[in-house]
Amino acid sequence: MYYVAKVNADMCAEYKCNTCTLYCPEANTLMFDKSGNTSWVDVDRCKGCALCVYVCTDMLNRDCITMEMPNVEAV
Amino acid sequence: MSLKYITPAERFKKYLPKDYVELVDYGPFGKTQEEAGPGNMGQFKELVEEHPMCSGCWMAYYIRLIFASLPNPEDTVTLGTAGCGRLAISQAAVPFIYGNYGDQNAMASGLTRAFRLRFPDKTKDVITIAGDGGTMDIGFSMTMHSWIRGEKFTTIMLDNEVYGNTGGQSSGMSPKGAVLKMAPKGKDFGKMPATELARAAGCVYTVRMSPTNIKKAAKIIRRAIFVAREVGPTFIHAYTSCNIEYSIPTHEVFADAKAQEKDRFTFEEYMTDEAKEVIERVEAEEKAARMARKAQKTEAVN
Repeated sequence: MYYVAKVNADMCAEYKCNTCTLYCPEANTLMFDKSGNTSWVDVDRCKGCALCVYVCTDMLNRDCITMEMPNVEAV
Repeated sequence: MSLKYITPAERFKKYLPKDYVELVDYGPFGKTQEEAGPGNMGQFKELVEEHPMCSGCWMAYYIRLIFASLPNPEDTVTLGTAGCGRLAISQAAVPFIYGNYGDQNAMASGLTRAFRLRFPDKTKDVITIAGDGGTMDIGFSMTMHSWIRGEKFTTIMLDNEVYGNTGGQSSGMSPKGAVLKMAPKGKDFGKMPATELARAAGCVYTVRMSPTNIKKAAKIIRRAIFVAREVGPTFIHAYTSCNIEYSIPTHEVFADAKAQEKDRFTFEEYMTDEAKEVIERVEAEEKAARMARKAQKTEAVN
């Protein structure tokens, strides 16, 4: 496996913002949960480009997304 | 095709692929742009499925945006040709026709004429989405002739300024001096003037842009489709960088797109008076419908 995006849900929920979901190059990957006001990542689909990190950290100064190694169970 | 046609019977749902059922239940078919459009991507099931395009590809992003902006996805057909773009376009829940190299605009000409004969009372959108090689190099003659004939469909050029799919040969759209894997001495001549050529060949609406602003990019895609329905050929020349061949770190792809917006891809929109009339009319209708829905919503709340 490789590093994929991970959203810190508690931090993300503070800003009612879905900007990162609008700039992910992959469809149906970085999703927005309206009830919890937070973005979440479909780990199986994320290709690890870190564009969402650029949007969250460099553009918006919010630091809610990090690149982390996911816990994947062997099939 | 309509939503009714693709909606499965409730008892069969459990046997169908999950992605298909999700598309019927949460997809954008039959919904408005406020419910399932570019402004709320990530909150509905999008038409583009998983595809093998590279990590952080700006072309993949623009394709995602194209499909989210379609005004009429259930009655749209896309055409493409060899190149990176077709890897994602062919994975969308919109019929896709894959031609021989460069003939997408010739096929689209026949298709759009056939649709107008076969479904005179229906709106069918035909969109060709091809790379810079397919549109301006190898498919150049067929692209130009479809414009000269005034065929009514939309042409979108995904310009990554290189043959990214075959290892980095320079294309007609590569900038002057670009050093690429298969052009080690740097390209000798400059970019082809794509939008000027389109205007000279009779396109009634042309845009050159770098897709960084979602609302603006979506508006342009929709304008190009609406004008093509009634007036004539339309052309969008969009910057969709190749982060592999141009060695752009994936997380800086968006920053590069913004930088190019001030460099080679300054925004340029051209429309004829006839096209302007259509755009103004359609956008006024859309605004009125939006206001009506809003009023209805507030009424329902009260």
